[in-house]
Amino acid sequence: MKIGSMLGEIIRSVFRKPATVKYPFGARQAVPDRLRGVIQYDAEKCTGCMLCMKDCPSNAIEIIAVDKPNKRFIMRLHVDRCTYCAQCVVNCRFKCISMSNTEWERAALTREPFTVYYGRDEDVKKFLEQTASGVSQEQP
Amino acid sequence: MPGLQKEKFIVPIGPQHPALKEPAHFEFTVDGETVTSASVRFGYVHRGIEKGTENRNWAQAMYLLERICGICSHVHSTTFALGVEKLAKVPAPPRAQAIRQILLELERIHSHMLWVGVAAHEAGFETLFMYSWRDRETVMDILETFSGNRVNYSANVLGGVKYDLGPAQTDSIKRGLDYLEERLHYYMKIVNSDESFLRRTRGVGMMTTAQAEELGAIGPTARASNVARDLRVDSPYLLYEQFPVTIVLGSTGDLQTRFVVRIQELFESIRVIRELVNHIPGGDLTVRFPRRIPEGEVVMRTEAPRGGLFYFIKSGGGENPVRVKVRTPSLRNFMSVLVGSVGHQLADVPMILSGIDPCFSCNDRMIVVRREPGKETAS
Repeated sequence: MKIGSMLGEIIRSVFRKPATVKYPFGARQAVPDRLRGVIQYDAEKCTGCMLCMKDCPSNAIEIIAVDKPNKRFIMRLHVDRCTYCAQCVVNCRFKCISMSNTEWERAALTREPFTVYYGRDEDVKKFLEQTASGVSQEQP
Repeated sequence: MPGLQKEKFIVPIGPQHPALKEPAHFEFTVDGETVTSASVRFGYVHRGIEKGTENRNWAQAMYLLERICGICSHVHSTTFALGVEKLAKVPAPPRAQAIRQILLELERIHSHMLWVGVAAHEAGFETLFMYSWRDRETVMDILETFSGNRVNYSANVLGGVKYDLGPAQTDSIKRGLDYLEERLHYYMKIVNSDESFLRRTRGVGMMTTAQAEELGAIGPTARASNVARDLRVDSPYLLYEQFPVTIVLGSTGDLQTRFVVRIQELFESIRVIRELVNHIPGGDLTVRFPRRIPEGEVVMRTEAPRGGLFYFIKSGGGENPVRVKVRTPSLRNFMSVLVGSVGHQLADVPMILSGIDPCFSCNDRMIVVRREPGKETAS
């Protein structure tokens, strides 16, 4: 039985570096290899099976067929909805979805940066032009 | 004035209260500073999760259920996955089961360490709170190395797990556990020796074995009252038969015993994780899992950090669950707070409340509608 049993610990801590990090200043701590950041999509490998979209628990993924017979797909990703569960990564049999371990700082003041388009540049451009001109899209 | 003495004085606490971080409404009837009776009301954070699962497919439902609790998230998704795998008669491979068990025990470590901090904070022992939470970061880092996420690990898929135990994970688990074990021995010494802390815990919130049985207490709260009740031993799931845990029992049932029981459970968890890491079975991580689950019902029970977790899952043969019912352990332990606080000082109530490791938001799922002639009651 004693009083102030953690006093030794406290005194030792006075001479130690703080356990906290002054984020975002100073050197960044290394992140683990398996850190789940923003979803990345490789349109070249996609066959348009839509399994990623079906199982997404937060409806963050939209796979849009720009030209279905020629297997041209783009992904509209709503980063703000994503829960980083990686179910889409597991579902994809063709390994076209992965999660970046470098892209994880997503704070923004508007909602626009949270909608990300992936795919071949000309497909994304075509889709955006069609949407802007009000042409109805071929939805999957 | 003699008339005033007969009136009851009720102290309401919550649902918005600076001392309680989660919403619940308590009413303590006091005589001076002594509590004479207590009542509780929940339902402030009802989120409709059970109903929500019915509009989602099996995989999506698992992620929703994982979010019932922010602390013991993995145990919810594992229980659901085990239940669905039982319904589909497609068990996960042994290696996946071992990884699930490692994560469950790591989760128990971070949950109990969180509780040690919270309970110390309620007792006014801020130093223990700060240091135990600093050391809890070790286990959070292990979980992050393992799955990439600190809290909702989402390591399960139906029919297996996503992440394998590689050399980096084995190394971080071994190093982390060595450090934690040393620190836990130190904390065990503190909770057993600090005079001011013992005055807040010894003999407070006493629950006898008979009371614990009668009130249906579960988890470490019951085990501190010498009730040998642990689903990891009573109805083993995953690999708890090959890698068993020993039930840790306390005898007195006061708050101090609950500290000792919980910290000792962590030594058990550390031992089991080390055994699992050293003798992990080989093989695949996942099996092919059907999208439609055969019609049927299943009950799955697991031991969450706070006690037995109960899942009832009903499938109609389709891609969505027909009904999922969840009973979380905190709900069964609240009665012990109401009974245990009677006769104690009002100032001891926060300690008694945190002694069961309560998780308020987990409870708010049940709605009972009683239809009597001319009267409908929802509670």
